[in-house]
Amino acid sequence: MKIFRYAFQTVFKSLWREKWINLLTILSISIGLSLLTSFIMITLNMDSVLQRWAKNFGIVVYLDEDINKAEENTLKNRFLKDKDIIEVKYISKEKALKELHKTLGANALVLEGLDENPLPSSFELRLKSSLIEPGLVKNKAAQIERISGVDEVQYGEKWLSSLYAVSKTMKLGAIIIGGAIFIAITFITYSTIKIFFYRRKEEIETLKLLGATRSFIRLPFLLEGLIIGLLGGIMSSLVIFGIYSFTSLKMVEFLPSINLVMASLPFQVYLIVPLAGAVVSIVGSFIAVGKIRY
Amino acid sequence: MISFTNVSKSYEGELILKDFTFTIDKGEVAYITGPSGAGKTTLLKLIYCAERPDRGQIVVAGWDINKLKQRTIPFLRRNVGIVFQDFRLLYNKTVFDNIALALRIHYVHPNAIREDVNAVLKEVKLSHKANTFPQQLSGGEQQRVVIGRAMVSKPTVLLADEPTGNLDVDTSQTIMNLFREINARGTTVLIATHNHDLFHGTGRRVFFLRDKNIEKEIIG
Ligand SMILES: Nc1ncnc2c1ncn2[C@@H]1O[C@H](COP(=O)(O)OP(=O)(O)OP(=O)(O)O)[C@@H](O)[C@H]1O
Ligand SMILES: [Mg+2]
Repeated sequence: MKIFRYAFQTVFKSLWREKWINLLTILSISIGLSLLTSFIMITLNMDSVLQRWAKNFGIVVYLDEDINKAEENTLKNRFLKDKDIIEVKYISKEKALKELHKTLGANALVLEGLDENPLPSSFELRLKSSLIEPGLVKNKAAQIERISGVDEVQYGEKWLSSLYAVSKTMKLGAIIIGGAIFIAITFITYSTIKIFFYRRKEEIETLKLLGATRSFIRLPFLLEGLIIGLLGGIMSSLVIFGIYSFTSLKMVEFLPSINLVMASLPFQVYLIVPLAGAVVSIVGSFIAVGKIRY
Repeated sequence: MISFTNVSKSYEGELILKDFTFTIDKGEVAYITGPSGAGKTTLLKLIYCAERPDRGQIVVAGWDINKLKQRTIPFLRRNVGIVFQDFRLLYNKTVFDNIALALRIHYVHPNAIREDVNAVLKEVKLSHKANTFPQQLSGGEQQRVVIGRAMVSKPTVLLADEPTGNLDVDTSQTIMNLFREINARGTTVLIATHNHDLFHGTGRRVFFLRDKNIEKEIIG
């Protein structure tokens, strides 16, 4: 506590004396953090949409024409035991035809006059999510195709690879842009604290000669950085809260189904953002103060 | 308390001190004198580690300067009170705060700081100027603030660089009395000056600095 007493006094004086620079810094940090958070939220929302789509992804295993009931059951058991497969659905020839009827609707007439059901029976398999990746699915499909009794395996190969590509680019973009914003925020605090440090250079020289330790000299700058970052973060939280409440309200009004798409903003975000601001700013201040040599 | 053994020091290749050897005992008051540019300030800087010797050994209050790590330098300086030739006062802080700073860096409790600083202000006869800023003081008053700051932490060694540089005879005497009192409490005092009146008749050792070394040592 005694270590912080003088540092706090120094910081509050400095916060007040340099209020315009500080305010500007806090604003910049809050803008940066708001951008970062919106960006992360957008990415997460989009990703959750992709995830939901991916969940519906299944592969269809068509069985040989001449397969019998017992063989079908062996296959089913084999699929059920497979750890990569989380759901197995059997579709008999008859059911397949019925569904075709349903889909064709009025056009089902084309099916009249068929004296034999031309459709094969099949299994619809859903793979565990970690496997939903173009290469892995391809391998799995090939593996299943080699099993005796299996005629053909089909899945939306194009669809899967484009979904995968979109998700991958999005993640990469998120990392790059997010990282850039992070560095920018660090730099904002860095330059502000650097200015303060240079302004007090003479004083710091004297402090050193009087026997002040490194931590005594550093602490006020780190504290100031921390407070600036924290305030920037709190401001950003308020902005995010405002924007989020407003947009979700408007969006639901115009596009009720958007609710399904918008992942809710977890309340932790309002704590994490100020914390992130504080941490990033402290890092910036630490770099700004640099190594103190006697 | 302070000992130099074969110390050499140069600035940018120009030798200032060469094979310098001397010792100041615990509890002593000693003087260093010599012409301007002889290296008096440099000598003091070597003691408080603002400069490092090129060669030779320096021991201050038991600390071997050559073995001192960067981070332990503050702890050496806490034992050394310094009256800087150029004052080094903080002009945006009051007289009180300037003196208090020497204690604040040691995290002394505010109550104790108030007590000690007020006592020192009384000793340097500046109690009535506690809340003024250094610019509002005369040269002699500023000088006394610097001395107050150097003595407030009760250092084991006090280094005074030209402490009466711009003072009249009376004020100089007041300040010399102050040093005598500080010394009486057990602090070793080393004073650099070219004012011979300061050490005349004191009965203390005086080192004459000339041509990179001690030219002679006399009793003042
Ligand atoms: N940082 C420095 N860089 C280069 N040269 C220096 C430096 N400090 C001092 N000098 C030189 O070293 C010599 C001794 O300087 P110093 O300040 O020790 O003298 P001094 O005896 O204290 O003089 P004065 O009585 O005028 O205060 C001078 O010639 C000065 O120019
Ligand atoms: Mg000098």
